[in-house]
Parts: sequence; C-alpha cells; structure tokens
Amino acid sequence: MEELLCTENLCRRFGGVMATNRVCFSVNKHGLTSIIGPNGAGKTTFINIVTGKIPVSSGKILFKGQDITNKPTHELVKMGICRTFQINSIFENLSVFENLRIARQAKSGGSLRIFSSKQSLKAVTEKTWAMIERLGLKELAARPAKNLAYGDQRVLEVAIAMAGDPKILFLDEPTAGMSPAETRHISKLIKELASEISVVLVEHDMDMVMSISDKITVLQYGCTIAEGTPEEIQNNQQVREAYLGKEE
Amino acid sequence: MNNTTTIPGITKGFPPLKILIIVLILGGLGLFPFISGNRFYISLINEMMIYGLLAMSLDVLLGYTGSLSFMHNAYLGISAYVVGLFLIHISPTSLWLACFAGIIFTSLVALPVGWVQVRTGGLAFALLTMAFGMMFHTIVWKWYGVTGGDDGLMGMPNPDIHLFGWNLGSSGDPVAIYLFTLVIAAICFFLTRRIINSPFGAVLEAIRENEDRASFVGINVRRYKLLGWMLACMLASIAGALFILYKGYIGPSTMSAFAGAGVLMMVLLGGMGSLWGAFVGAAIFIYIQDYISTMTEHWEIFLGLVVIFLVLFLPTGFVGLGDHLKRFRKG
Repeated sequence: MEELLCTENLCRRFGGVMATNRVCFSVNKHGLTSIIGPNGAGKTTFINIVTGKIPVSSGKILFKGQDITNKPTHELVKMGICRTFQINSIFENLSVFENLRIARQAKSGGSLRIFSSKQSLKAVTEKTWAMIERLGLKELAARPAKNLAYGDQRVLEVAIAMAGDPKILFLDEPTAGMSPAETRHISKLIKELASEISVVLVEHDMDMVMSISDKITVLQYGCTIAEGTPEEIQNNQQVREAYLGKEE
Repeated sequence: MNNTTTIPGITKGFPPLKILIIVLILGGLGLFPFISGNRFYISLINEMMIYGLLAMSLDVLLGYTGSLSFMHNAYLGISAYVVGLFLIHISPTSLWLACFAGIIFTSLVALPVGWVQVRTGGLAFALLTMAFGMMFHTIVWKWYGVTGGDDGLMGMPNPDIHLFGWNLGSSGDPVAIYLFTLVIAAICFFLTRRIINSPFGAVLEAIRENEDRASFVGINVRRYKLLGWMLACMLASIAGALFILYKGYIGPSTMSAFAGAGVLMMVLLGGMGSLWGAFVGAAIFIYIQDYISTMTEHWEIFLGLVVIFLVLFLPTGFVGLGDHLKRFRKG
C-alpha cells in the first residue's frame, strides 16, 4: 500500500518537556490507524503538530512525499488534511446547513465573490444537501448548531471535517461524552470512512479501538513505544506496563 | 421546499412588507426637507445618516467579523481631512475627485494598520485599533501647518454637488448635502447588505463564530479579517467625505478616543449584526446628545445611564427589542 503521510523524528518541546519525542509515524491511503496511550502521552499534541495548529520543534512531516512541515493550517486543509476536536468546535450561531456549507465553500472556492449571493455557488449548495441527507441531519438543517443535542453536535463536528473532502482525517476522541448507542453509530461511520480515506483516531474507548483499527500506535511520554495490529498491541508487554504499571 | 438549490433560512429578494417599509423610510427621508423646511432638523437628520454610515461600517467589523475597533472615527477623520485638503489646495470644484482621493488615501493608511492588527487576536486587536487611532489623532492635532491643529481645517470651499447628472446645488446648502448624504448612505447600505449576504460575507461570519474552526475548514483567517477591515475602513472613509461636505469643517476632536467610544455606543444601542440597527443607534445617540445638551452640558451622564440600562435589560440593542417584547408577552 502507498504511503500518504509520514513523520520523521518529529519533536515538540514545551519548555523542558518533550511532548512529542522523535515520533516516526506513517499512514497509508486507506485504513484506520489509532493512536492510544495513557493520559498526557502526547496524542493530542501530535495531532496539533501534524495539522498545523502548533509549530514543530524539529523533525519533518511529509504528505505524498512533499514536505509540509510548519505550513499554515488553511493550506494543509486545502491539501486534504482535516481534523476534529476533542471539545466541540462548531459555528454555534450558524445553522447546521451553514456549518457544512461554509466548510464546503472554503474547499471549493468562491469565497472572494463579494457581490453575488450565497445561492450563486450552486455546486456548493447541492453537495451540502447531499451530505445533510447522507448523515440524516435533514430535519435539523435550519437549526442553529448551538441548539442541537450534544450527540448531534458531535456528529456535526465530524461532518464539518468531512465536508472538506479530506484525504486524511484526524479524529480527536470523537466519542467523548457519547452514549453507547451513539458510540456504535459513530464507530460505524468511521469504519465506512476508513475504506475510502485514511483515518487517524485518538480514542480512549479500548473496545472500539481494538475492534475497528487496522493499525495501532502506542505513545507514552511523547515516544512511540509500540506499533502493530490490534492483536500484537494486546500482547505487547511494554504496552501493558504503560497502562497497568510494572509487575513487581 | 427541499430542492437542492435552496439554502435554509434564506429567502430570495425582499418580502413585500419589507419593500413597503424601505420605500416609506427612504421616501419619507427624501421628502422631509421639502415638507418641513426646518433647517435644524434637516441638519440633525443629516448628521444621523453620516454617523449611521460610520456605525454601520463598525458593525461590519464588530457584528460580522467579530473584531472590535475602538476608534473607527479615525478613518472618518482621515478621509474628511484629505477631502478637505484636496478641495482647498488642489481643486475647489472637483467634488467627486476629492471624495475618491479621500477613500483611496484612507485605504492606503488602513492597509498596513490592518496588516499589523490581524496578526493579533481578540483584545490585542482592539487595543491596537486604539493605539493607531490615538496616533492619527495626535498627528492631526500637532501637524498645525497642514491640518490647522486645534483650530481644525478652515476655509473649505463649497463645491456644487452633481449626482447622476443632476446639480443638487452647493454643498453649503443644507438641502443639497442632505439629499446627497441620503443617496450615498442608502447606496452604501444596500451594497454592504449585499456583500454581507455573499459567499465572502459567509466567510466573515464563520470567522466571527469560531476563528479556530474557520482556519480548520481551510479559510485563511488573517486574509479575510484584513479584507473585512478594509471594507469597514472604506465605508468609514465615505462617511468622512460626507462629513466634511456637511460640516464644512473638521477638527481633531472628531478623531478623539472619546468620539470613538461614541461610535461604539451607537452600534451597541442599535444592536450588532443587522446593519440597519447601526443607523437606529446613531439616530438615538445623536438625538440624546443634541436634546440633552440644550439642558445641561453634562449630557454624557444621561447617555451613560442609557447604556447601563441597555447592557442590563436589552443586551441585543434596539434590533433585539422585537424578540424581547414577544417573549415578554408570552410570559
């Protein structure tokens, strides 16, 4: 399989703390890669670096063989690197439809049209409707996003990222705060997505991670301590120690 | 209704009732000087329209892009000085040329200022607008040879106002400048409304709602914030051109931080994010200022009370009054 994105000795320092320490990570064009690790292992920091939210201290990020280290976020998004946030980050006072429409518009262009109406971007509107129907948000389309139930907001959070036609999608704890039923719904959605694009998942729900991942990377204190299939990870002595502590 | 080209929440064009209201307001304002002939009120409404335009330009920033400018009056002032200087020193009759000079010069000043400002966010942005505004105020105040310093710009000629091939008369004639202001302010209002409802306006609103998310859907936030800033400054410069034609004079106090706070108050009084609310806010502000100052010179105290009342009981301003009453009636 072809490699889509990889990092070479990626480091990020916060004062004296190495939040990300020489991480070499790679993902293919399809499939689901999970990043797990104890609290404070540097999972979110890793996503923040790769998606351009915070700058790299040293090391390199390659996307399709091209160096994208320290490029601004909006350029990375245009290349197809999208993400969701651990805490919902949506356009609260805009309608659900507009939340997705603006994401679509930002991707396909036309934002500099100042004298035409929003409807003039017909392709954008049509694609947004198609997406709304696929996600089953039709009834909620006209509602301000802030009036949605938490679970629906969580779906919207993922949907906004998907609206930009990503090639690789980073999901930062998508099921945080969701009920078991909602978790099942969203994990099905993620699995489907992973057959088309590359999905990188940061998640605490181990059942979910073990059942849907193709590959797992384990981080501890900013370092990669293991990499492999779910079975390999489950049987890895170092991983067990990281989570449960050393047997005396 | 769900065909794939409609956008929920948007109705195309104006509903008939809105058209009727717009026609009545514009018609009423247009006919007012011919019916009343009261020079005091003609002049007062003229000032309301000019400050309404300035407040609307601030609303583009505050209500749509989510950036706060403490001294937007600075850009009205710069433009007014340039238009005045052009008419005094270069050509006393070329009104339109002078106005373009004012708009272009103001934009050239606003561009580097905006470039610096968009590199910061939130409070830092707001404080920078204040720092730059005070700098411009000081320059105008101290540069006696050009601006007249404390005395202000004197000796403004009164050029004839030509509009769509009509000669409305000299800018010294209150009715001529009133009609000119009305037409220009109306054009600016409808153009701005159009821009706000465009794909570009949608980007500004997304930035207001959530800058972080906006950049993570692929929006170059700084670039669009700068464009929003430039739009707001250009509108303010148009208000500036009207201002000097209307007053025939400008002094540094128009560009002071105190006057800047007044513009901000107009937007808050009217309510953010509606454009027309800014005109209502400006009208209320100027009426209070004018009416109370005939009784006491401490009119600011009364204005302060109005603002406190507003913040406590009507935080959405005049625009939100309708929703408020509805809720009140329902209990």
